[in-house]
Amino acid sequence: MNDRSFVAAQDFLLSAKTFWTTTLYGAVRDSYADKASSSQDEASASVEAVAEALEDTTLYQFYAWLERHLQRMKYAGRYGLVSYHDERRAAFLDSLDQIESEGRLLELNENLDLPAYYTGVDIHQHPGGVWSDALAGIVYERGARTTTPLLGAAGKDVHERFTDVALGDGAPKTVLDMGCGFGKSTQPFYRRLPDSRIEAVDLAAPCIKLAAGMAQKAQAKNVRFRQMNASNTDYASGSFDLVTSTMVLHELPPKTIGEFLDEAFRVLSPGGRMVNLDFYSLPDAFRRFIHHGHARRNNEPYMGPLAEMDLSALLKSKGFVDVEIVPFKESDDIDLEANESWRFPWTVIAATKPDGCTS
Amino acid sequence: MTRESKPPRAEQQFFDDPAIDRIMGAFMSLATEHYVLLDRFRALERELAKSGAINSAALDQEPDESERAESLADRNAFVEALMRPLLGEQDALGAPGKFSLKTTKSGA
Ligand SMILES: C[S@@+](CC[C@H](N)C(=O)[O-])C[C@H]1O[C@@H](n2cnc3c(N)ncnc32)[C@H](O)[C@@H]1O
Repeated sequence: MNDRSFVAAQDFLLSAKTFWTTTLYGAVRDSYADKASSSQDEASASVEAVAEALEDTTLYQFYAWLERHLQRMKYAGRYGLVSYHDERRAAFLDSLDQIESEGRLLELNENLDLPAYYTGVDIHQHPGGVWSDALAGIVYERGARTTTPLLGAAGKDVHERFTDVALGDGAPKTVLDMGCGFGKSTQPFYRRLPDSRIEAVDLAAPCIKLAAGMAQKAQAKNVRFRQMNASNTDYASGSFDLVTSTMVLHELPPKTIGEFLDEAFRVLSPGGRMVNLDFYSLPDAFRRFIHHGHARRNNEPYMGPLAEMDLSALLKSKGFVDVEIVPFKESDDIDLEANESWRFPWTVIAATKPDGCTS
Repeated sequence: MTRESKPPRAEQQFFDDPAIDRIMGAFMSLATEHYVLLDRFRALERELAKSGAINSAALDQEPDESERAESLADRNAFVEALMRPLLGEQDALGAPGKFSLKTTKSGA
């Protein structure tokens, strides 16, 4: 396919997704509100009750179909991201070869065992996942530009806003970004903290390769991307003042979340803070229903279990203190109360390793 | 690590009749294709207008009565092809209606 046709098809899908995000979602929400007010109290409803009310309606069935298949068409099929990049494989591989392949910015580990939860599902409907094809990082980067159609180019993006929250007034000397992907979450840290040491780990070689390429272009000297399991790193205990993750927890099964938090605790210096961004805060049954449906339809098997976990209790049981779990505004112009369109339940999950804690 | 190839899994079903799920897939593919063509057509027109080969303003004008009359037969044929199947009539003589081989006894 030529570049123009690819962009036209992807733009068409994005417009369809925008319609889905605003009009169709709004109609589903309104139709539930109608049913709920005529039957029982909306606030006390359960996910099952919402499912009873909506799943057999034609409107919801179209909503659900489109949620799955607009994403499928974005990645797979004739105009999908995968075939577009596949047709240009040689050129893209060439661009990856320009990246300093081993050394200061990048450390790959061919022998790393990838966990079964990770290889067993093609996450967010990316055929082959973000790890199995050399071009997967490039494909993922292109796809991520349009994950949420309402997040326009105006204003600070999600990762910049998250970095504001994670840094506060502080300037940590050492930062670890767990599950950094292609480095979108790491960039604001290495850019804003030129005198600090930023480390970033991820399981996916094709992603961190691209991350290193971007850091190379930005002439960053204070960052390193390493292929490593975030729940089992080789860092010495107490190495980091700040440990972050963005959109990683929901990709982990509950047991791995436990290990991930243990590892974050271990590598934090006493008094150090862990700050994660993920999808968690779901104040009512309708939004839980929508979220669980999204997880299933988008190939995110652990998104549902995360939403049902008692993270506050879990963090405290791991020894963390000052636990904070607060809704996160993903863009300047979103009003959390008045918002009427589909959105992820963005949430900041933060906690501190107690001072004087040596374990 | 490399990815094992696995046999395809059954697609998720959202409508009561899975035929609707599948026809929606075909429909959305056609809609995408249609938009890709529209986009190309516009680009083509822009290029042709730039080179002076066509006059875009003339293309955009309402067709006059004679032009509409000229294309009427073609338009009707298009609509006929599109809508005739709704009647559910045969084009070539054969047995009518739905049939099943479920009750046919082998060897009978
Ligand atoms: C949705 S992406 C987010 C990437 C990046 N933090 C961002 O915000 O753009 C989730 C990432 O987590 C990585 N991941 C999943 N499980 C992991 C693990 N156990 N250790 C390290 N990375 C992991 C995946 O490879 C993927 O790159």
